[in-house]
Amino acid sequence: MASALRAAILGHVRVPVVANGSKLLTPLWIHRNTSVRSMSSHDDHLEKSQVIDRILDIVKSFPKVDPSKVTPEVHFQKDLGLDSLDNVELIMAIEEEFKLEIPDKEADKIDSCALAIEYVYNHPMAS
Amino acid sequence: MAFAMRVKVPPNSANLAEARHRTFDFFRTACRSIPSIMDIYNLYDVANPSQLRSTIASEIRKNAHITNPKVIDMLLFKGMEELSNITEHAKQRHHIIGQYVVGNHGLVQDVATKDEELSNFLKNFYKSNYF
Repeated sequence: MASALRAAILGHVRVPVVANGSKLLTPLWIHRNTSVRSMSSHDDHLEKSQVIDRILDIVKSFPKVDPSKVTPEVHFQKDLGLDSLDNVELIMAIEEEFKLEIPDKEADKIDSCALAIEYVYNHPMAS
Repeated sequence: MAFAMRVKVPPNSANLAEARHRTFDFFRTACRSIPSIMDIYNLYDVANPSQLRSTIASEIRKNAHITNPKVIDMLLFKGMEELSNITEHAKQRHHIIGQYVVGNHGLVQDVATKDEELSNFLKNFYKSNYF
């Protein structure tokens, strides 16, 4: 089985052939631009405008919210008339949208659109 | 059954603030298990996560007037029990749909003026099994 696996892997691996033999001694990834890490989750960082749009969409689609009142600075409880449970519900919706898990202590502090946008924008894993 | 075997009752909440905090914790736990519940019961064609979230919130809001921490603890325990039963697949799809998707307004909504003389008992009987 191991030999079959080996054959299968070798069948797919392609090593670039370089005329100058000495170049092969340095690892392949050194040649690449190190600021771009293609498989890293930290690269495809969200644009601020994208974060704002998506959060506003979530807040507007919340059943108890009047969509015309929603702005990026709106306070959930003072301006939109939501209660603390609605607040938690909104945060959970944001978690789902951006595939995050916001710790309870930080989730308690998020009570306005501005704070939510700030938190998601600064979160490295938001997607 | 599985819930009953490994159940561990936490100490009572000391005050209303703690019970309140526990309620929010429970709500978050329930919300975070929504994706797996949708998966287990294949609810994608009848509901979406935000509907289920609102249903959980309204179930909690039904008891919003309660201020006795012991009563809140008891209700949280029952909620936790219900949640474990659901996530352990101790229920069937129609239980979830009947209780949490269709909810207490029932499949057939009474909009016309007919049957005004009908007793409340019968009206509730026709409406839904769950309340």
